[in-house]
Amino acid sequence: MPKNLFVSPEEVLAPGKVTFKDIPVNQYNKTIKEELKSGKYTKEDLIRIFRDMTVLREFETMLNLIKTQGSYNGIDHTYPGPAHLSTGQEAACVGQAYLLDENDFAFGSHRSHSEILAKALSTINKMTDEQLMDVMENFLEGKCLRSTEKLGECKDVKELAIRFILYGTLSEIFARETGFHMGMGGSMHAFFLPFGIYPNNAIVGGSGTISTGAALFKKVNNKKGIVVCNVGDAAMARGPVWEALNFAAMDQYKTLWESHNDGMPILYNIFNNSYGMGDQTRGETMGQDRMSRIASGVSPTQFHAETVDGYNPLAVIDAMERKLELLRNGQGPVMLETVTYRYSGHSVSDQNAYRTKEEIDAWKEVDPLLTYPAKLIEAGVMTQEEVDAILKETSERMTMICKAAADPEISPYCDFKKDPAVVERLMFSNQVVEKFDDREPEVTVPKEEAEGYKKIKSKTRNVIDENGKPVSKMKMYNLRDALSEVIYDRFYEDPTLIAYGEDCRDWGGAFAVYRGMMDAFPHCRLFNSPLAEGSIVGTAVGYALSGGRAIVELMYADFIGCAGDEIFNQMSKWQSMSAGILKMPVVLRVSVGSKYGAQHSQDWTALCAHIPGLKVCFPATPWEAKGLMESALKGTDPVVFFESQRIYDVGEQFHEGGVPEERYEIEIGDVNKVCDGKDITILTVGATLYRAMDAAKELSEKYGLEADVINLHSLVPLKYEKIVESVRKTGRVILCSDACARGSFLNDIAQKITELCFDDLDAPAVVVGARNWITPPFEFDEFFFPQASWILDAIHEKVLPLPGYMAQNGCTEAEALRRAAQGV
Amino acid sequence: MANAVIMPKAGITVESCIIGSWEKKIGDAVKVGDVLFTYETDKASFECESTEEGTLLEIFFQDGDEVPCLMNVCAIGNEGDDVSSLRPEGAASAEAPAPAASEEAPKAAEVKAPVAETTAIEGKTAVSPRAKKLAERAGVDATLATPTGPNGRIIERDVRTLMDNPVAIAEAPAKAAAPAASEEEYKDVKFSGIRRAISKSMHTSLSTMAQLTHNTSFDATAILQYRKQLKNCEGDLSGITLGDMILFAVSRTLKNHPDLNAHMLDDSSIRLFNHVNLGVAVDTPRGLMVPTIFHADEMSLVEISKATKELAAQCREGNINPDLLQGGSFTVSNLGSFGIESFTPVINPPQTGILGVDTTIDRVRKAPDGSIEIYPAMGLSLTYDHRAVDGAPASRFLKELGQNLANFTTLLAR
Repeated sequence: MPKNLFVSPEEVLAPGKVTFKDIPVNQYNKTIKEELKSGKYTKEDLIRIFRDMTVLREFETMLNLIKTQGSYNGIDHTYPGPAHLSTGQEAACVGQAYLLDENDFAFGSHRSHSEILAKALSTINKMTDEQLMDVMENFLEGKCLRSTEKLGECKDVKELAIRFILYGTLSEIFARETGFHMGMGGSMHAFFLPFGIYPNNAIVGGSGTISTGAALFKKVNNKKGIVVCNVGDAAMARGPVWEALNFAAMDQYKTLWESHNDGMPILYNIFNNSYGMGDQTRGETMGQDRMSRIASGVSPTQFHAETVDGYNPLAVIDAMERKLELLRNGQGPVMLETVTYRYSGHSVSDQNAYRTKEEIDAWKEVDPLLTYPAKLIEAGVMTQEEVDAILKETSERMTMICKAAADPEISPYCDFKKDPAVVERLMFSNQVVEKFDDREPEVTVPKEEAEGYKKIKSKTRNVIDENGKPVSKMKMYNLRDALSEVIYDRFYEDPTLIAYGEDCRDWGGAFAVYRGMMDAFPHCRLFNSPLAEGSIVGTAVGYALSGGRAIVELMYADFIGCAGDEIFNQMSKWQSMSAGILKMPVVLRVSVGSKYGAQHSQDWTALCAHIPGLKVCFPATPWEAKGLMESALKGTDPVVFFESQRIYDVGEQFHEGGVPEERYEIEIGDVNKVCDGKDITILTVGATLYRAMDAAKELSEKYGLEADVINLHSLVPLKYEKIVESVRKTGRVILCSDACARGSFLNDIAQKITELCFDDLDAPAVVVGARNWITPPFEFDEFFFPQASWILDAIHEKVLPLPGYMAQNGCTEAEALRRAAQGV
Repeated sequence: MANAVIMPKAGITVESCIIGSWEKKIGDAVKVGDVLFTYETDKASFECESTEEGTLLEIFFQDGDEVPCLMNVCAIGNEGDDVSSLRPEGAASAEAPAPAASEEAPKAAEVKAPVAETTAIEGKTAVSPRAKKLAERAGVDATLATPTGPNGRIIERDVRTLMDNPVAIAEAPAKAAAPAASEEEYKDVKFSGIRRAISKSMHTSLSTMAQLTHNTSFDATAILQYRKQLKNCEGDLSGITLGDMILFAVSRTLKNHPDLNAHMLDDSSIRLFNHVNLGVAVDTPRGLMVPTIFHADEMSLVEISKATKELAAQCREGNINPDLLQGGSFTVSNLGSFGIESFTPVINPPQTGILGVDTTIDRVRKAPDGSIEIYPAMGLSLTYDHRAVDGAPASRFLKELGQNLANFTTLLAR
């Protein structure tokens, strides 16, 4: 909603028509001789292209035999994991990789062994021997290289590097500790960063948003190279992929950004093999005749899209050359549809029920592994003997690699018995990084001149002033200010830090946490994203795993559902699936609403806490908010940062002296005791802290009971020591949050307390949550969300009957059973 | 507009009371100060005077109902006033319609009188892990506690109550229902709160302690003479009884025997009191009551005498503050006036001893000159908890007490 972009009715309502440019389809028609004559390729280049294709083919053939027959060239091995093979797609992959080097990031599709290996072979060819040795020696402290060296003498460093990449990939697929990621990623998540090979993805189209975030990283941080996003044809039906295309195509890069205003340096490449799993995209599950048409629906540039013959490696190289030039000229994003075909089934259990043998045979007749060398022989580039020699060399190399990768002596598995914590250590990186780059952060004004920051600094950081009088709302430093202050500070320290989300810039964020920041930071660091949560989180994931830090906002926690895959499968898992090679410094701010009914008022902490790999926190006081945000924005782990719209305005009522002026961190995992008592423990999450304090007051004044109130500002990780200490003391515990009670994370905590404190408990741990309904309109808030009286009722009915107290809200066992039976 | 009368709170520790009987019935005109009903705690009974004027419109609880303190008991106002807002949930109401709709059922089920003395189903008493642990440490049987937790669960505070105030021990869970028989043969009388408390306390005492009794006697010549002397005095001094003198002597003698001025806390510890809080057994129409003379060791003989009389009168009238019915560190029970020559007093837990005072009989002894002389001998029966005190120290206490009484004026002089 920038004011300088005038929405003119005259223009918008004027008659006219929408036009499209033609999209080229399979236009390449040069012969080998013509190409040789043009000087674009040497004979060695053309032969190497063939060599690379044989390496890819042999790799997939080997895996297919291991999967289906348990044996390859006399090596017996059982591999139980997935094998989505790309046999038939080699020319397309080698063609794509031919011009790419280690600075170009290639993200993989669902079927990406060939993509990975082609990119590796191309990069190996371009790097010097010294560079290659350096990479291999330094990767995982040379562990992979040491195993590769056991394969025997090697004629040169490039051959060693080829063996290295084949061995590292295969032992990763075979789940060996010597794999590129200790076997934790496997077939569907194999990659090798030093060669610019970025993750492939078991989620169809998963690379769409992530690679777009990587391109954003290159664009904002002036990094060399471009990004290739590989997806299959079936992925083009997925929403997040469309969101990614739109994110890359946003007009603002040109219309609003003060700097870095080139187009997004990304190529969306669709390997179209005509099938998803067994579904045929063209003619059955989609309405597209050519996938290259899709970009025309996203941008007037049509992403300079074309369709290219993926059965001719030289045609693909030709198209790539033109696309790379566009990208290097700042005219991205671009799109290629690379037509190809897979002979193998979707997986080895595929019975090919959806296609005929005739169809497969027809494609095999034009198999590039046959037609391309035939053309080279015809053009006099190589002889049949040379072709056979390459095939022999490739087969022998693959046999050697397979033997080594299958051999538990050379390629041991991670020993879970000896080291049961092997995966545990990979779940979080737990590092503190002040900044991910040394350059000066790009800002519009110095910190001391930033009006918004000055305003925060001028506020009274306590609820009472030095004379003991209450501070007025306008002058009081509140929870919103606490978040804002830290984000300001970190913006001025880490040049890679960017913030975006729905209406973050001009509006200042829907809840004003970014208010004033548009005057301090340029668009490249703070911008409005599309209202498309999949792309918001997915691009942040890509930005972070490429080496930057991102804080993104979803406005309402309810929108977590719209970014489900990006949060639950991508943000959470890449650190551990990469065995710690990737870092995920993403802070995802989500706000728990009120007054907005069923789809804008939900506390979904339980969903996030359930997924391994996410840190989850939910500050309820300004002191907590400041310390936690400081930790989150210095850490290297993904944090889902819950906020409550009910309490953005609260001042600090609990921390002695208010919120300190100076910087400090609160460890994510700690808890905050706000009130000392001996009779009952009340654990709270989010805004319920304040209702629990009301209940504690009544307990004290009317019943002489003193409550120990502890706010759980962190849910994952969570240190139980202070909780256990309190419950052992009081023997009674009530847990309270605004999340629906069924499946609330509090149940998990209650269960653990019961285990840890069983003999000290005077009553079961009781969870007081919201009802298992939709959130009714705000007028009925008190019937849905936990109130102070609910806490007292729960104490009276289930823990410690209070003399003279009458429960009002019906929380008896009979009622609980009835509700459970009804599912409400 | 109708107003409610609430169940008074008859002491800090009292949480609920049982209605004895209603003195007024619905429709009666009531003035402020009129007695509406009697009620009793487990220790005393009281009369509830009306705080409102008007017509008694509705009675929410009936004779024998247990009512939490401060809860509305009845409504008083003008005929036709709406009393529905005053009616506590769960109270029986004459005009309340029976819950008909099935939706109402769970709501009704939710309501139950708080702090009701309930026991879990099938006579099995649920005890919270914390209460169990505490009871084990304190060496008390948790299942004897009065459950006040949800669903009749015995919780920590119930065990603490049991430890601090053994008078309030729980009743045995299930009682056998008598087979139907003609009403003329006998009458089933429900125990009053006090009777129930005595019953529980006595049973706990004998079933949980190692009690034994030593008997002795002393030459009562001195105290009988002193008593005669005092009788001729003016005022309060003339009312001092032999019993008062014994209380006085006990209060002084106990100071040298701290193990008998004590509470057993658990199997491994004992609480020794710095002062003597003397329990005095009083016979009342409702049963045995034991008010406490706090800090008796700091009181003069006449002060002890006065305090004893006042407390006994309050007990008999049933208006004693329940807080004065607990906290004793040693008890004296006097059955001498009934001619009892020797008996076995039962300890008031968690105290470690109780002194029984017997009647005075004439005995003979050899005088220093070799002749036989007759002298008045008063019996003393000390029951002590052998867990806390051994036989020799208990005997030493009894011996010293006897000597002090035999030389009472010397004791007074100290």
